[in-house]
Amino acid sequence: MTENVEKLESGSDARRRILNIAVSTVLLETGFESADKISLETLTEMLQCFFTEIGNSAKGYCELSGRVEPVLGDVVMAMINMGISIQGLEQYAARPNRHVIQPPQQAPAPRTPSMLSAGSKAKHASHIPFYLPSLPDPHAYIRTPTHKQPVTEYEAIREKAATQKRDIERALTKFLAKTSETHNLFNTEDNQVFPLIACKPTFPAYLPCLLPTDQVFDFDELEYHFQVANRTEDVPAEKKDQSDNEGDNGGDNDNANSSQAESQDLPVNSSPDRNKSGG
Amino acid sequence: MKKERTGDNCRPFKLAHQILSLTGISFERRSIIGFVELTIVPLKDNLRYIRLNAKQCRIYRVCLNDQYDANFQYFDPFLDICQADPNTRSLEIFSQYHLAAAQKIDPDHNSGELHVQIPEDAAHLIGEGRGLRIGIEFSLESPQGGLHFVVPEGEGSLVEKSAHMFTYGHSARLWFPCVDSYAEPCTWKLEFTVDESLTAVSCGELVDVVFTPDHRRKTFHYVVNTPACAPNIALAIGPFEAYVDPFMNEFTHYCLPNLMQILKNTVRTLHEAVGFYEETLSTRYPYPCYKQVFVDETEDDATAYTTMSIMSTHLLHSIAIIDQGYISRKAMAQAVAEQFFGCFITMQNWSDLWLAKGIPDYLCALYAKKCFGNNEYRYWIHQELQEVVSYEEQYGGIVLDPWQPPATGARADTKEFYFPVRNVHTMSPRYMEVMRKKSHLVLRMLEQRIGQELLLQVFNKQLSLATQAANTKIGSRLWGQLLLSTNSFVKAIFTVTGKDMAVFVDQWVRTGGHAKFQLTSVFNRKRNTVELEIRQDCVHDRGIRKYVGPLLVQLQELDGTFKHTLQIENTVVKADITCHSKSRRNKKKKIPLCTGEEVDMDLSAMDDSPVLWIRLDPEMSLLRSTVISQPDYQWQYQLRHERDVTAQSEAIDALHNYPESATRKALTDTIENEQTYYKIRCRAAHCLTKVANALISTWAGPPAMLTIFRKMFGSFAAPHIIKQNNFDNLQHYFLQKTIPVAMAGLRNIHGICPPEVVRFLLDLFKYNDNSKNHFSDNYYKAALVDALAATITPVISVLQPGAPITADSLSADTRLVLEEITRVLNLEKVLPCYKNTVSVSCLRAVRRLQQCGHLPSIPTIFRAYAQYGQYIDVRLAAFECLVDFVRVDGKPEDLSYLLTALEGDPDPAVRHGLARLLISNPPFERAQRHRLDTEAVVHRLWNNVNSHLSNDARLRCDLVDLYYTLYGPKRPICVPLPEIQAMMKQMHHKERERLERERERERERERQKELEVKPVIKKEIEDVKYGSEIGHLTESGSIVPPLSESERTGHILPVPISSIKEEDVKVDVTTVHDMPGAVFSDAAKREFTSDNAVALPGIPGTSGPIGFEPGMFRHDITDEMGAPKAKKKKKDKKKHKHKHKHKHSSKDKSSKDKEHKDRSLPPRPPSSTDHLKIKEETRETLSSFSSSQSPSEDVSSMPSNMSF
Repeated sequence: MTENVEKLESGSDARRRILNIAVSTVLLETGFESADKISLETLTEMLQCFFTEIGNSAKGYCELSGRVEPVLGDVVMAMINMGISIQGLEQYAARPNRHVIQPPQQAPAPRTPSMLSAGSKAKHASHIPFYLPSLPDPHAYIRTPTHKQPVTEYEAIREKAATQKRDIERALTKFLAKTSETHNLFNTEDNQVFPLIACKPTFPAYLPCLLPTDQVFDFDELEYHFQVANRTEDVPAEKKDQSDNEGDNGGDNDNANSSQAESQDLPVNSSPDRNKSGG
Repeated sequence: MKKERTGDNCRPFKLAHQILSLTGISFERRSIIGFVELTIVPLKDNLRYIRLNAKQCRIYRVCLNDQYDANFQYFDPFLDICQADPNTRSLEIFSQYHLAAAQKIDPDHNSGELHVQIPEDAAHLIGEGRGLRIGIEFSLESPQGGLHFVVPEGEGSLVEKSAHMFTYGHSARLWFPCVDSYAEPCTWKLEFTVDESLTAVSCGELVDVVFTPDHRRKTFHYVVNTPACAPNIALAIGPFEAYVDPFMNEFTHYCLPNLMQILKNTVRTLHEAVGFYEETLSTRYPYPCYKQVFVDETEDDATAYTTMSIMSTHLLHSIAIIDQGYISRKAMAQAVAEQFFGCFITMQNWSDLWLAKGIPDYLCALYAKKCFGNNEYRYWIHQELQEVVSYEEQYGGIVLDPWQPPATGARADTKEFYFPVRNVHTMSPRYMEVMRKKSHLVLRMLEQRIGQELLLQVFNKQLSLATQAANTKIGSRLWGQLLLSTNSFVKAIFTVTGKDMAVFVDQWVRTGGHAKFQLTSVFNRKRNTVELEIRQDCVHDRGIRKYVGPLLVQLQELDGTFKHTLQIENTVVKADITCHSKSRRNKKKKIPLCTGEEVDMDLSAMDDSPVLWIRLDPEMSLLRSTVISQPDYQWQYQLRHERDVTAQSEAIDALHNYPESATRKALTDTIENEQTYYKIRCRAAHCLTKVANALISTWAGPPAMLTIFRKMFGSFAAPHIIKQNNFDNLQHYFLQKTIPVAMAGLRNIHGICPPEVVRFLLDLFKYNDNSKNHFSDNYYKAALVDALAATITPVISVLQPGAPITADSLSADTRLVLEEITRVLNLEKVLPCYKNTVSVSCLRAVRRLQQCGHLPSIPTIFRAYAQYGQYIDVRLAAFECLVDFVRVDGKPEDLSYLLTALEGDPDPAVRHGLARLLISNPPFERAQRHRLDTEAVVHRLWNNVNSHLSNDARLRCDLVDLYYTLYGPKRPICVPLPEIQAMMKQMHHKERERLERERERERERERQKELEVKPVIKKEIEDVKYGSEIGHLTESGSIVPPLSESERTGHILPVPISSIKEEDVKVDVTTVHDMPGAVFSDAAKREFTSDNAVALPGIPGTSGPIGFEPGMFRHDITDEMGAPKAKKKKKDKKKHKHKHKHKHSSKDKSSKDKEHKDRSLPPRPPSSTDHLKIKEETRETLSSFSSSQSPSEDVSSMPSNMSF
């Protein structure tokens, strides 16, 4: 609404400006060199009233004669009715030293804001008569997913996992570096760039190092994995072996040179030393 | 008596049984009060003296058969080794004194620190074959060696803090009086009274645990029925958790609290090792039980004692750890092997050390071969051989048995070492290590000579003889079978095999050094022969000797492998070997290898010779190094096609020198070859780095190994992203660790690491994902940090020279590297990984950045990480960085900091490790007039070596090594000769006056202090309530003397006569120290030393001080040394405390002679009769004590003992 009012005002402003120019031009033509603002406005007002009156009455005549749009005759009738002589008007219009006012520029037509549209509107199906209103925006009747399809690309997943992990670690260490004592690698006072968290002596020192917490392993499961599920050796059942560095056979092979002709075809080989004398 | 003098027959008595009872074990005071009783069988009727070993102990009383108090003297030459020549600073001279000192107390020379004189009235107790019991009461406070208390700081009870103690090394004399010889086995009864919450683990079988009447303590009773020698007795006390081996019930494992789970995992396979040994030796495990105790702060990974081993707790690892597993299994297997040889069968003399060390190593290697595979075994042997060879070439040939000269040929010069090699307490620890390896190699050679089967039979025979002997009583005189010597070993070989190995022993055991062969070959096309020339040019070089005998040459020809045995008789041997193969006929034919396989080879690189490669002594049946000259393509063939890992390894060594594309191809193929042993593949990777760097101008394509790495470890969909970790294939695991490090060594034409390699490494960090892995990736992460460090090259500075380095001045790449390093290092604080491997690598990386000028060279970080309380590996890494820092930009204070740590760190492993670090990277080069090369350092090191480290033989020998590295065998250049010094003195007369004035003031201050100390002492004396002299050591008498002891001794013991007397001597010493004139007067010092010299063994009527404190012979030069002030003051205080106490006691007794003595010093009582009179008087006073037993009197005598 407010927008419309503004529009109107700006429209009447433009009209009034043109009227103002017209009045001024006539005054100049008549020989005035300057005019008070107030008198100019008065004249303009008078001109405007005059035009309004002509318009109204021309419209009246036009409607009287059953038309919707006034024609020249209606205007003439209105002027005559107002007692204005139209004699010499033509000459006046074609007077030699008249000033021509620049036709007002076509104001850009205010665009009507289109409705928010989503997607492209579907055309009518063939069975729907053309005169029926077009279909609404697709979102009004089509189901759209509320989340994006997850990326299944391996590379991107790894990238993301790595970034996430790193961000967490970085945030954690940064926080700790800010909240605890730090060592400085440089001789400078501020230690903002590469702060190192200060090390604190712990007693006994071996405990955290022998029982590390950087990864959580389920030892029972690991034991099962190495001892039972993932065995590759033909060790007698009662001979349990340690998984990570178990050799598989007696290897009392005096001929060292045969040592590498071994069978490496085991799919999961749990020993680096297994490439010894299998053969 | 034509019998040779050996370790077991030099003493005039045999040891039958020994009781060791430790009662007052205090963790707070780090002290021990105990009692030993040795039952000896004299071998002659007129035994007057018994010499025993005891160090750093305070002896209160020696009692024979519970009835007769015996006089005794105590003398330890290690307290001032160069007593006779106090101004020498030359290792050559020190070495002589050092050996003399060691032999002066060597039980195998029938000597010892403690001389017990059998009193007249007890003479009837001595009779040949009649047992005599010698009871000795002793105490020990703050031991400096042999015994270690681990009492972590902080709140909580001892159990909560996991406080524990254990013995280390093989010097029993450091913690109880004994015959500290391997050649004197006896049966034992061991009793340890400990806190109710603690467990005492010791040798033998646990027969009983008895609570004390107040139920606050309990006594563990152990019995060793198999004769064992004192050095093999050990003890560990702590809040241990026990785990009985599920496979062998007689095996028990002990660990500190909270470690049970990883203990179970670590010891999982031990029973296999035992089974293997029993099977191999076809002998039962010789003892009824075996215990493994895992403790903190050990010097070595594992030390074996009779029926028990003390292991480092750092051997423990969870099932997810890979690398540590190898080390731990080997260490435990080794310790078990030592139960057979080394504990059960011991050596007769030091000369037989090589057998006691070599045989367990040999057995352990056999087990390793079974367990880890033949490649691992051969690779290990090859490594050991190279290590021995390089050590010998640097320091001189190691003679395994230097006591007996070889029957033929001249005696090898054993003087070439800067330390005496004839006593284990004077040998460099590094020498011991290498000697052990050499012993192993020699035994392996012996195996090749007589066959494994027969060698094992020899062992079996020794063991069965020993087992028989062990079940007999002392009277049967069979216990000698428990000892093994070179001669008896040779004899046993002869008995079993009929082969006389004397020549072999002469050649390899009694002669040092190794052979060195240079081989060149030319193919003679006309005659179709290979003309070989084998030279031994360097026979006069250090560590190398001429070899005469057979030598195996192995030729790989087109038609197969051919072995030729050449007789080496001269330094130059030429031989023409006819080739079996005709020259190549361009036929496509498979080539047979020595293993019988037939392989295709690309023969285009060859010329017309049919020889593919030549090897010398392929079975390593000699101690030798070889230099083989053959063309590059032969090395490449050898690397590709020879199946023996040693040959491959040698080929890789040789290919360093042939940077060309064919080498590159051969190395690349080796890395990729799944059939190849993983260690060879890893070495090939490092070699390829060097080759690629040499080829850089013509290198085309991506950086070396990048493609291989991506192919092996890149993920399928995106090869530039590494797969999620999966270490199930351990070969790949090791390659995955090695290749990044090898790649980081690459350099482009500008000499910097190619940017794409840096990016590649950073990506490895980024994409490292261990979430699906069954193993921990801590070693891998550490390897990545190592790799990053290896990319760093010296900074190209855009700064003004001298401008401070700031974070802004870093280059972009360095920034990224540093960011990564700080991130992982910080992360370790929250999420520590196993053994903090990442921190260790990070510290090295930071140091590398400092070295290259990217970071300012400041030691603060390393100091923080080197503190006590950090993990040992981290500490050692930090010390490594500090040592390097000191070398590059250290100030004298920095060096002093290191030396202080070296002298006083609580952890013996750190002290030893730091010493080795300083030796391998010395702070300054010899005689370069370096700014750190000052006189103060010389004196400081010298005093440590000469006196302060009297109780820690290993560290002392470490420091001797360091001294040698810094100054060589002669007097250091920075210490002017005395003559020059005298001239200087004149010049600095005024300076001296000033010093004297200062000294005067110091004395004044000391007197003040003495006054201050007084009231404290009085209080202490009041506190003591106990009549026994044990009581005064316990705090306010809270410890009840054990029942057993009082039962045994019958009555409460009087103070030994000599102790009071010795006290006087000690006072002399302190007085001398305080005498104004003594500061520079040599005369006074001489007198004081000669006083002690009178106390040498075997001189009756006089007696040396009963107890010594290391450093009490410290001459006043120390004042000018860099030694920490605080320590010194403490010592001074102690002395004064003592002095005062002494005064106190003399006040009580008001014995005139004492005052007389005090006055008459430094001159000693002029005549010996005078002296004796004094003694008599003292005796009287004392006997009255023992009858009256009033506390005050006892107190008066006690502190005098205490202060030593």
